[in-house]
Amino acid sequence: MDSNKKYWKGLEELNSDPEFVEKNKHEFAEPIPIEDVLSSGGLSSKTPRRDFLKALGFGVGAVTLAACQKVPVHKSIPYLIKPEEVTPGVPNYYVSSYEGHAILVKTREGRPIKVEGNPNDLLSKGGLNAQAQASVLDLYDYNRLKNPIRGGNDTTWDQLDGFVKNELAAVKAGGKKIRIVSSTIHSPSTLAVIADFIGAYPNTKHVTYDAVSYTGIIQANQNSFGKAVVPHYNFDKADVIVSFGADFLATWISPVEYQGQYVQNRNNKSLENKKMSRHIQFESGMSNTGSNADTRILIKPSEQGIALVNLYNEIAGTTLPGTKALGNTNAAKAIKLAAAELKAAKGKALVVCGSNDVATQVLVNAINSQLGSYGTTIDLDNYSNQYKGNDAEFVEFVAEMSRGEVDAVFFLNTNPAYDYYNAEAFKTALKKVRLTVSFSERNDETASLCTVVAPNHYYLESWGDGNAIEGYYTVVQPTINPVYDTRQAEQSLLLWSDNAVKDYYTYVRNNWDKNLQPKGGLQSGLKGWEAVLQTGFVKVAPKPASAQSFSRDLNGVAQTIINQSGRTAAGDGKFELELYQNVAIRDGKRANNPWLQEMPEPVSKVTWDNFVAMSPTDMKKLGYVQGDIVTVEAHGYSVALPILLQPGQTQGTISVAVGYGRTMAGPVANGVGKNAFPFQTFLNGTFQGTSTASLTKTGDIVILAQTQTHHSIEGRDVIRDTTFKQYQKDPSSSSGEERKHKPYEDLWDAYERPAYDWVMAIDLNACTGCGACVVACNAENNVPVVGRDEVRRRREMHWIRIDRYYSFVEEGKEITEEQEISELKDLDNVQVVYQPMLCQHCDHAPCETVCPVLATVHSSEGINMMAYNRCVGTRYCANNCPYKVRRFNWFNYWNDARFDNYLINEHTHLVLNPDVVTRFRGVMEKCTMCIQRIQAGKLQAKIEKRPLKDGEVKMACQQTCPTNAIVFGNRNDPNSEVSKALKSERTYYVLEELNVQPGIGYQVKVRNTNTELEA
Amino acid sequence: MRSISLILKQFSRQVILIAGLAICGLTAYAQGDASKGEAIFKAKCTACHKLDQRVIGPALGPTLEAETDDKWLTKWIQNNQALIAAKDPKALKIYNEFNGAAMTVFGDLSDGDVANVIAYVRTEYKKEKEATPAAGAAAAQETGPSNIVVFGLIGVIIIAFIVILVLNKVISTLERLVANRPALAPEEVAAEEEAGPSKGLLLAKMLIKNKKFVFFVLLCGTIFCSSWTWVILWNTNVHTGYQPVQPIKFPHDLHAGVMQINCQYCHSGAYKSKNATIPSLNICMNCHKVITTRMGAKEPSAEIAKIYDALGYDPATQKYDSTKMHPIQWVRVHNLPDLAYFNHSQHVKVQGLKCQTCHGPVETMKEVYQYSPVTMKWCIQCHKRTEINIKGNAYYEKMEQVHELIRKGGKVTEAMMGGIECGKCHY
Repeated sequence: MDSNKKYWKGLEELNSDPEFVEKNKHEFAEPIPIEDVLSSGGLSSKTPRRDFLKALGFGVGAVTLAACQKVPVHKSIPYLIKPEEVTPGVPNYYVSSYEGHAILVKTREGRPIKVEGNPNDLLSKGGLNAQAQASVLDLYDYNRLKNPIRGGNDTTWDQLDGFVKNELAAVKAGGKKIRIVSSTIHSPSTLAVIADFIGAYPNTKHVTYDAVSYTGIIQANQNSFGKAVVPHYNFDKADVIVSFGADFLATWISPVEYQGQYVQNRNNKSLENKKMSRHIQFESGMSNTGSNADTRILIKPSEQGIALVNLYNEIAGTTLPGTKALGNTNAAKAIKLAAAELKAAKGKALVVCGSNDVATQVLVNAINSQLGSYGTTIDLDNYSNQYKGNDAEFVEFVAEMSRGEVDAVFFLNTNPAYDYYNAEAFKTALKKVRLTVSFSERNDETASLCTVVAPNHYYLESWGDGNAIEGYYTVVQPTINPVYDTRQAEQSLLLWSDNAVKDYYTYVRNNWDKNLQPKGGLQSGLKGWEAVLQTGFVKVAPKPASAQSFSRDLNGVAQTIINQSGRTAAGDGKFELELYQNVAIRDGKRANNPWLQEMPEPVSKVTWDNFVAMSPTDMKKLGYVQGDIVTVEAHGYSVALPILLQPGQTQGTISVAVGYGRTMAGPVANGVGKNAFPFQTFLNGTFQGTSTASLTKTGDIVILAQTQTHHSIEGRDVIRDTTFKQYQKDPSSSSGEERKHKPYEDLWDAYERPAYDWVMAIDLNACTGCGACVVACNAENNVPVVGRDEVRRRREMHWIRIDRYYSFVEEGKEITEEQEISELKDLDNVQVVYQPMLCQHCDHAPCETVCPVLATVHSSEGINMMAYNRCVGTRYCANNCPYKVRRFNWFNYWNDARFDNYLINEHTHLVLNPDVVTRFRGVMEKCTMCIQRIQAGKLQAKIEKRPLKDGEVKMACQQTCPTNAIVFGNRNDPNSEVSKALKSERTYYVLEELNVQPGIGYQVKVRNTNTELEA
Repeated sequence: MRSISLILKQFSRQVILIAGLAICGLTAYAQGDASKGEAIFKAKCTACHKLDQRVIGPALGPTLEAETDDKWLTKWIQNNQALIAAKDPKALKIYNEFNGAAMTVFGDLSDGDVANVIAYVRTEYKKEKEATPAAGAAAAQETGPSNIVVFGLIGVIIIAFIVILVLNKVISTLERLVANRPALAPEEVAAEEEAGPSKGLLLAKMLIKNKKFVFFVLLCGTIFCSSWTWVILWNTNVHTGYQPVQPIKFPHDLHAGVMQINCQYCHSGAYKSKNATIPSLNICMNCHKVITTRMGAKEPSAEIAKIYDALGYDPATQKYDSTKMHPIQWVRVHNLPDLAYFNHSQHVKVQGLKCQTCHGPVETMKEVYQYSPVTMKWCIQCHKRTEINIKGNAYYEKMEQVHELIRKGGKVTEAMMGGIECGKCHY
């Protein structure tokens, strides 16, 4: 049954839009005017011969003249006094931490060029997300502030210090309030500095404000268990996971960590032990997490509360007052089944909810308590410090300002003028404050309103620490001298509060010496500190996670929830609007990062924009087509955004991503998308992201820069999946004999691979589609950014892309014929498979045989090599590649003013990996299997006179993958990880029927579907 | 007969020359054993002396050639301090010439040892003097290949010219024959009429009219021009011999040659990194904090002063002023294009190549020039010919293919290990 299941890359392919079909006939989207030239008119015109000769003559002359210049003299400038630890040409790695994750920073000649996960990191075990990978580029962002600013004019630090201290003295004398507003800070040293500052200015209060807030969870835990914290979730201990709109694999609290945990019960190892967790997702918009779920149930935001109440009733066997039955029969049924499964997995079950509503989260706590999750899948003792925002406090702070009670305010790593829901109120209130100071690295929306901007160091230039999980302390150490004339915010606070310690580095040292080194069992003093700088973190033995007893009366809670859902329920042509975070852009802090802007959003595959995601059924009803710009209006705020056709979006709902529409972030982010933060509301003490919205068509239409539809799979058997049940019966189901092709007669001789045969195994069941590998590859291989227009022309340069495939199920039947699609009632029951697609390094590579200049040839190590300087740009290879992984340089992206916003300035050039060349206009490029890493690994082994160890060489994509979905290694070694992985029964090769003998084996996606839920 | 006597004469001259040389050699050998002297010389003298160059002490070759009083020499070598103390005029002269730098006292050397050393120095210097012109000739020959082509071409042209002349002779003979039979000769009156002025002009005219000759000249010209273009194109962007003027006239011949400083002392990256690295100035200062003058000169060297200047260093106070620091902008001699990845440590550390293999005799270069063409052809040739250094390197242990090759007795070159594949250098 599964053998002929149909997949679609996008709805265009599925519907076979004439435009899509036409475009896909050609390798390159834009027509080439060969026909015009070769047509009769072109050939019989009067002067082609003479013109040809003229052009030829001029061309030869010009080329000769151009060649007549002297060879440029190259300078070679050594260090004056070389630092001992730097050897030009050899990278140094320094431990540091990014948002509490221990990382390694790779530096070359003293400049950071790549961020890599620390394999010993407690949270992510060496994986990193796209944001962390991209963070190194921001260091060289020339839009960062280059010096302190006062009143809009550049100033010096001395003058600034004098001014601020005078003002602070006056404020202190005046007796009015001082506020430090920041996003969540978990750094113990920073918190200590702030505490010291408060000591010096007792009227000060520290207000924590997160743009995307988790106050609901914190408050709920305070209410339920007296612990105002975000708990630490253990998805690896859960056999059944039920999520209500929590995008925990992509954006929710600590996604990189959760990805690793989640996959532990779903990867190859777990499957071989015949064990797989079940994940049921109830949500309205198609999230990255939802797309990975075994069962995905569509509910409206207004139904979420009711569904949770029903779930509680089912599990607890009671009926809370005010309980309403779900109108959605499918969801009602799913709730019953989910409850049964959860109950069966007591102690190994986990329910999470993405809502920021306190009442909802209290109910979730009650459910989890019923399921015995506390102490197993939820840990409130080793809690998370990643989010500590208090929404009510911030709202109160704005009120204080508008009442004129605040005389001084400091903004640290926060930007309320952009991301506060009522930014106008904030801006007006801010005007009443005497001293406004921003520590922002750039002159952003808030900083530009402040009298003083004291630009902070970037984290790669800073000393510091982190404490993401209680008992886990990471260190932040600088890896470069400050690029601009900036100063660390903590240093400024120390100076302004006349702290006894004038230097923040000393302060951090003292703090570690006194508090953290002993905690980690290290000796105090320099020795212990040096040990910290070696390992990057200290760990306190985790406290035993205690079970929590929930003893609150839920009647009131249930009532609040029911009332609330009535509020968001939309009627008369209105839509329920849900805000979400895009995997790449998140809350918009890093919006000025071109790598992130160009990373396709996992589900929609849209780059450089946010949009209104809408169900195909709704669109049909309203007569909208994709790209139609509509005005979304909710409680007085409206934005005009293009529509995206999103299968799997609940009917009657729309989803809009926050983080876009920056106005002062820099040339990359400014004007990209629209700001959706003002759609938030402040309700029951927290910010909430759901509301009802009305849509009106503006009549304009744009083409979204979407990457997925750039190729067609022509109905080929590229993706394979199976269900856990079938897998248990036959592990080789859907990869096995029935889909094997008869052996072919080889046209080519086999290549000899005497020493190595570099291959890769990609576990589709482990891949969550997060896109970290795409950005890691960008950073490692100097992959250029092309911009929105070029992406629209299908010219994105990513060497690795993550293909997202849809398949449809209706009434328990999988859609196997293309024409069936038009008979579907709706496109709600969509299943998603992600497939990282990169050069397959085929042993019989079709690209190699068509290259007229032998620019792409095969190596004796099984790699399909690409010699750029040999390539003349015929593009035959791209045309002949069945996987469509070859990318053509249409421009000289690294040195072309048209791509000014991205990477062509002298600062961003510093991020280039010096071991990889930048490619020039007119050449083809593609994944090289990080050949520079292979070569470096082999050389290191040769120097150390030992064989190359398995796992020593890691691909950039493999290294960053939070779920270890990618395994790379030597197939000649039967004991290598990759050989073992490829021996899995699930392994299949994409398009193996072409006999191109790809070097990358994929492992079939397995879904632990509940047949009852499917029905 | 005449030729035989000529040969005999030459032969006898050679015999006399060889005999003379042998006698010279014998007289030299008679006084000491040069081979024994060599060991002593290398152990004790090379720290300060060279045969043909003044280092810390005088150049011994010319000095010993001029100084024939071996007794005095023995005394000087065994205990120069005593001679100076005794106010020996010769000793004082040398002492003053070298700024009162005292030579080490070698009391442990016997008279025989000293005689051996002197013998070694004299014979070795003589050998060197004779070898120099020969080496020059050899060097000239080494640049041969390209000259062979040129000479060959010239030879071909000359031969062709001779052929033309011969052919012309034949033609003229034939014409004469024809002329002798008037019946065969058509209207040649006009030609004879014009045949007036001079013989040379006539010949030129005849040649120009000769189509074959003109064709041949043109052909030769074309061949010459195109081969010239060919050579030019092949050598475009090949900068063998490139010797830019450096901001500091750094003499490699002094540092690497005379002083025998190991290349890696300064270019320390060569063992660890892809870059051999140009030393930072703190490396220079290891020695030049003390050595401030040119060898033998009293005045502080202007070139060494440039180091101080770049570092903001004041030799008088021995202090650094970081505000005056500015980097030295060396001119890169070997410019490998960015598209090719080259790693020094791979070649130096793993393969154990000598720096000179690619960089030429740097220890004799006053200013560094590019010795090798650094073209891809040059790389590939070496990768095809050179046996790789697998001995004692466990890295190759597991590579069965390598063992197979060794078993077959073949040599294992880099090319066999995939060393000429594009992806080895281009990524």
